[in-house]
Amino acid sequence: MRLVAGVDIGNVTTEVAVARLGPTGPPEFIASAITRTTGVKGTLPNVRGVVMALQDAVARVGLRVQDLSLIRLNEATPVITDVAMETITETIITESTMIGHDPSTPGGAGLGVGITVPLEQLDRVAPGERVVVVVGGAHTYDGAAALINRALDRGVQVTGAIMQKDEAVLLNNRLGRRIPVVDEVALIELVPPGVPAAVEVAEPGRAIQTLSNPYGIATIFGLGPEETKTIVPIARALIGNRSAVVLKTPQGQVRERRIPAGVLTVEGERARLDVNIEDGAEAVMRAVERAWPLRDVRGEPGTNVGGMMQRVRQTMAELTGQAPAAIRIQDVLAVDTMAHQTVRGGLAGEFAAENAVALAAMVKTTRLPMEQVASALERETGVAVELGGVEAEMAVLGALTTPGVDRPLAVLDLGGGSTDAAFIANNGEVRTVHLAGAGEMVTMLIDSELALRDRELAEKVKRYPLAKVESLFHMRLEDGTVHFFREALDPRLFGRVVLLEEDGTMTPVATDQPLERIRAVRRTSKERVFLTNSLRALEKVVPTGNVRHLDFVVLVGGSALDFEIPEMITRKLAEYGVVAGRANVRGCEGPRNAVATGLVLACRR
Amino acid sequence: MEINERLIEQIVTEVLRAMGEPAAAPPAPATAPAAAGVELVLEEKGPAGQGPADEVVIGVGPAFGTRLRKTIVDIPHAVVLRELMAGIEEEGLKPRVVRVRHTSDLGFIGHTAARLSGSGIAVGIQSRGTTLIHQRDLQPLNNLELFPQSPVLDPETYRAIGRNAARYAKGQVPEPVPVRIDQMARPKYQAKAAILHLKETELVQPGAPPVELEVSFKPLN
Repeated sequence: MRLVAGVDIGNVTTEVAVARLGPTGPPEFIASAITRTTGVKGTLPNVRGVVMALQDAVARVGLRVQDLSLIRLNEATPVITDVAMETITETIITESTMIGHDPSTPGGAGLGVGITVPLEQLDRVAPGERVVVVVGGAHTYDGAAALINRALDRGVQVTGAIMQKDEAVLLNNRLGRRIPVVDEVALIELVPPGVPAAVEVAEPGRAIQTLSNPYGIATIFGLGPEETKTIVPIARALIGNRSAVVLKTPQGQVRERRIPAGVLTVEGERARLDVNIEDGAEAVMRAVERAWPLRDVRGEPGTNVGGMMQRVRQTMAELTGQAPAAIRIQDVLAVDTMAHQTVRGGLAGEFAAENAVALAAMVKTTRLPMEQVASALERETGVAVELGGVEAEMAVLGALTTPGVDRPLAVLDLGGGSTDAAFIANNGEVRTVHLAGAGEMVTMLIDSELALRDRELAEKVKRYPLAKVESLFHMRLEDGTVHFFREALDPRLFGRVVLLEEDGTMTPVATDQPLERIRAVRRTSKERVFLTNSLRALEKVVPTGNVRHLDFVVLVGGSALDFEIPEMITRKLAEYGVVAGRANVRGCEGPRNAVATGLVLACRR
Repeated sequence: MEINERLIEQIVTEVLRAMGEPAAAPPAPATAPAAAGVELVLEEKGPAGQGPADEVVIGVGPAFGTRLRKTIVDIPHAVVLRELMAGIEEEGLKPRVVRVRHTSDLGFIGHTAARLSGSGIAVGIQSRGTTLIHQRDLQPLNNLELFPQSPVLDPETYRAIGRNAARYAKGQVPEPVPVRIDQMARPKYQAKAAILHLKETELVQPGAPPVELEVSFKPLN
């Protein structure tokens, strides 16, 4: 009777399975455990986490680590992944015009066009002239209202106002005539006097019509076709705003700097393809599929994508200890997304959502540092340690212990860094593939699209369902059901969108975006990464290359524990007539512990 | 340190004398209140009732604008009220002012006002300037946002408090107004705060219902 432990060191977690192995018969599993991986996967700091997990597991059955006869370690797949993103369209601002912005409470409504005049000089404007008055922060709203009313009484056509302070409603409520007022223009000193300007405010619940239309701006300022082209980004940025200001500034005051998005070169065994990042993620993925398997991926130097690939290489080089030039990227996953960028030349530090592409890249490293980990672990525990088989094959062995599955079987391992697939045929032959892009990429997409700038919060948004605290005694869950409380909730949660964590903690999401949008971003981020990668991975391991020829697919790995990813994949694969579901390793472990279990099962007697 | 009656008396006398000396008064807020030149006129309009849903009620303490006319750092109550009301108005809601007479406790002032408020949201303020945002479903001693240190509150903060209260009333999710903390405020102002609180508490009329106030600002000449 021997006591064998299987240990799987993953990117995020370290998992252990312990079993009694008799001379005959199947192994008898007696304990399992899970801890966070200490250090980067495949490096010496892992040992501490492994020892912790082992102690945890054997303690549950009243044993000590020294009682083990053998520890089997996974031969960690030498792949590491990294994610990066870059805007592909250039940030707004053109040579001759500045863009306005969208304060939460503009005043009045309508479109006002005129020459900019500082409030102090309003008294000098001749009657009949059309002006847009500029109100600096030194003025009070009632003082400003009195001056504007006086000008209106003299017959000056005050058609709109731009204010520095958040007082547009206050000003408008005190004017004799309702005019559009845009406020919270922080950098009001940048608004030059004496230039043509347009102020537009829509009625509540509506969006502006004229300034979001390039031809609308062209009409107001009398622009020619060439000039109209340059203001297209402005109009585009204003779409959906409730209010906006556009100024026609003298030529050259605000310069546009355009960094090209750049060309990505995909070098594969079948082809070498150039793809322009501006064509979007879909075009990139088509090129990747045509060139597959990849030898390397490079970005055009001096462009956005060039800079991004350089950063990826740098990170990979640091992780693996190889020279950046020696790094060969084996897979990329490109996803279309939105990035929030400060508008250059904006007047109030505005942000605009820009099209961006996020890339996950995967590198196969040449070193196999697991052997160092194994010998260090042997020294530490005094127990014999051996490296087990290929990780994906072990995952298949473990996944096969799920009740109700049989060969031929495909296993999708949805991890943090990579999405892996393995296929075991009737004759026991195993095919595997590792693809870039998994849970961490989803976190990055959520972080960027919601402009959270908080990776930890984004991680929580990914993991937990949402609810809106509608009163202190009830909340509406994201599926529309209402949950009542006997005790009042924490007042800090009042009116907020919260995340419902497993232990009952409610974390408010620090964003003013509505629940529906947060949910939509979360779900599309997961779909773009995991649905795309699941299909890509399965196509590559099915001997016929056609997902329809599969019977069973089981999902393992940390992301298979997600509350909606397995269901998304199950639904998608059902379209292909494939039975897919979350694994239940040994009938009790769920999608966890597949590799550790497989390591024990593969143990030679 | 031994604290006896004589010591307290000494401190109080000194503070009272300091209050009379303009030199010892804290510096006026850097941003000169725009309404420094206006006078606050509060007219009682009978018992305060329930209002419409688009309002935020401002509940003021018993001595606000009457026996006491400025905060602990000499911001005139006219400015305080004007800023609170402007903050609410800018968000598209209507401010309504009531005087709470049966208590000088901030939590209860705010909660009384919140229960009168059609939106369920109220700002409660004591005469010395301490302020909170309250909601009618909360316990009286709870709150949505509390600004416990009256000496650090300036006109901009009162504007922001009004704005946030209105945003809660609209069902929005405002970022809480940043609360400044001055470590020295407590030792510096504790005695003055105690006296101002005492002056307010003297005007408490047990059992008196809150009254509606009509607010106007008259220019000072």
